[in-house]
Amino acid sequence: MSRRGSARVTGFALVAAIGVISALVARRPELAIVAAPFALLLGLGTGLAREPRLEASLDVRSSRVLEGEDVEVEVTVSSETGMERLEVVIDLPDGVGVAEGPAGVAVRLAPGDERALCYSLRPARWGVYDVGSVAFRARDRLGLVLWERRLAEPRLLRVYPVPEPVGRAFPAVELQAFAGNEVARVAGDGIEYADIRDFVPGDRVRAINWRASARRQRLVVNERHPERNEDVVLLVDSFLDLALGNRSTLDDAVRAASALATRYLDRRDRVGLVGFGGTLRWLRPGMGTTQRFRLVETLLETRVETTYASRDVNLVPARVLPPKALVVALTPLVDSRFATALEDLRARRFDLVVVEVDPAPLVPRGTRRLDALAFRLWLLEREAMRSRLERLGVAVARWGDDGSLDQALEGVRTFRRYARRARV
Amino acid sequence: MGAAAVAGAGGLVALPVTRADGGTRDILVELTVVALLVLVAGLVSAMSVLVPVALLLVGAVYAVQLVRDDAPADAAAPAFAAGLLVVAELAYWSLDERDRVQGERGDGLRHLAYVAALGVAAGLVGAVLLAVGDAVRTRGLGIDVAGAVAAALVLLVVVLAGRARGGPGSAGR
Repeated sequence: MSRRGSARVTGFALVAAIGVISALVARRPELAIVAAPFALLLGLGTGLAREPRLEASLDVRSSRVLEGEDVEVEVTVSSETGMERLEVVIDLPDGVGVAEGPAGVAVRLAPGDERALCYSLRPARWGVYDVGSVAFRARDRLGLVLWERRLAEPRLLRVYPVPEPVGRAFPAVELQAFAGNEVARVAGDGIEYADIRDFVPGDRVRAINWRASARRQRLVVNERHPERNEDVVLLVDSFLDLALGNRSTLDDAVRAASALATRYLDRRDRVGLVGFGGTLRWLRPGMGTTQRFRLVETLLETRVETTYASRDVNLVPARVLPPKALVVALTPLVDSRFATALEDLRARRFDLVVVEVDPAPLVPRGTRRLDALAFRLWLLEREAMRSRLERLGVAVARWGDDGSLDQALEGVRTFRRYARRARV
Repeated sequence: MGAAAVAGAGGLVALPVTRADGGTRDILVELTVVALLVLVAGLVSAMSVLVPVALLLVGAVYAVQLVRDDAPADAAAPAFAAGLLVVAELAYWSLDERDRVQGERGDGLRHLAYVAALGVAAGLVGAVLLAVGDAVRTRGLGIDVAGAVAAALVLLVVVLAGRARGGPGSAGR
């Protein structure tokens, strides 16, 4: 433990020294008498203080929690020598707080005593946090000498975003070759009835529709729609984050991405992830529980890293964006580079959906007339960008304060139904 | 605790202020106001460096009164010393409390008892020193005896230290 003097040492030394000097100068022994207790206390305190021995350990009960859930942390301290006052302060990163009570506790340890101090931590937002830093400060009996020590054992706490409820996912226009839950438009082996056609050599006997064959006096077989899966790539905009109070566009985008990933993986679809911003992060499409954990872990690393360099979709590896993939972009639609990338993706014939995390409620409108005018112009620019995307056949779902993610996605389903008809 | 420290400092300076004459009293009152303001500023802004400054200003009030009035040995000096130490301890305690560290039940009472004991001890030390100072000033037989005893004690300590160095460990070499 490192030793240092408390604020009292400087103060007492100053009072004692100036008191004695004043007594000599003014020839008044009373001033020396006033200074004497300070000097005596200082000498006794610093001379008699002995370094205490401290054993400490930290136990974090859970390393994975959801946002808003509490996690128990136990700090165990013991001392062979005993301590008059030991202050234990758990040093928490931004975004994690103590659910109840203060982060610092002072205890008194008798020689050989062991104490377990329990803290209940509550992470406010998703992310990866190191909660393994605890500061210890022991004082001597007179409060003049301090011994400090820091326990820094990296204990990572992964806080997963609470998924937004998503009732129904929207299917891709074109499906993949693997079995899944989505009924394909093409005919093939499946459960859903599609049509009947004339029998051709090679057709299975069990596919013959005997009633229709009897009516038509020739063999006809049933055609069915196969159940296929789809490739979904979640494109998260990490160019910038607009935040106000507890709300932030990046937080909401990550929550939405987590919810959509869970929903699509439940349908046996392959889901990939691209974090598109200052730093490019990606995860190739995959399926199953392992992929779900990989996705969430990658999402937790998402953060804004400011860059002024140009970024386009050429940077994204081709295997991360497989052909016929449904690309779901989660963005506040503020950075023009991301908007350009969306138009570029659409130009490359990707099936694209934009979930716009509406930043308008997070931007102060301003009180002056000019500020209000600028705000209105900004809203108009956003409207123009939205219209441009919709004209390209991209469904844009606006997700703001006034509705759930599921409600916003319902608009996408409607748009895509209409857009498909229009294309036919 | 901060309020107690300020109140204590105010009470402490009341002694020299009430004892001072007209002209001196005005100076002492001004010094008192400055001392209390500095103490309050230190406690409110958690600047521990201002606490000794305030204590020195409180001491200065006492010193100015002693020098200006040129009074004989002041019997209230031990009480003033004890009071100043208690004020200092209360002020630092108040600053410690700002660390937002929750203590155990009974911590406050224990600390209060410690501060009180510190005040009593400071008073006793002050009284002993005052008695010694008084004895030195009167230069009676007592001081000669005390000097002889002190010299004998120093000689004894030197002899004991010398014997401890030249013990069995060093003789064997």
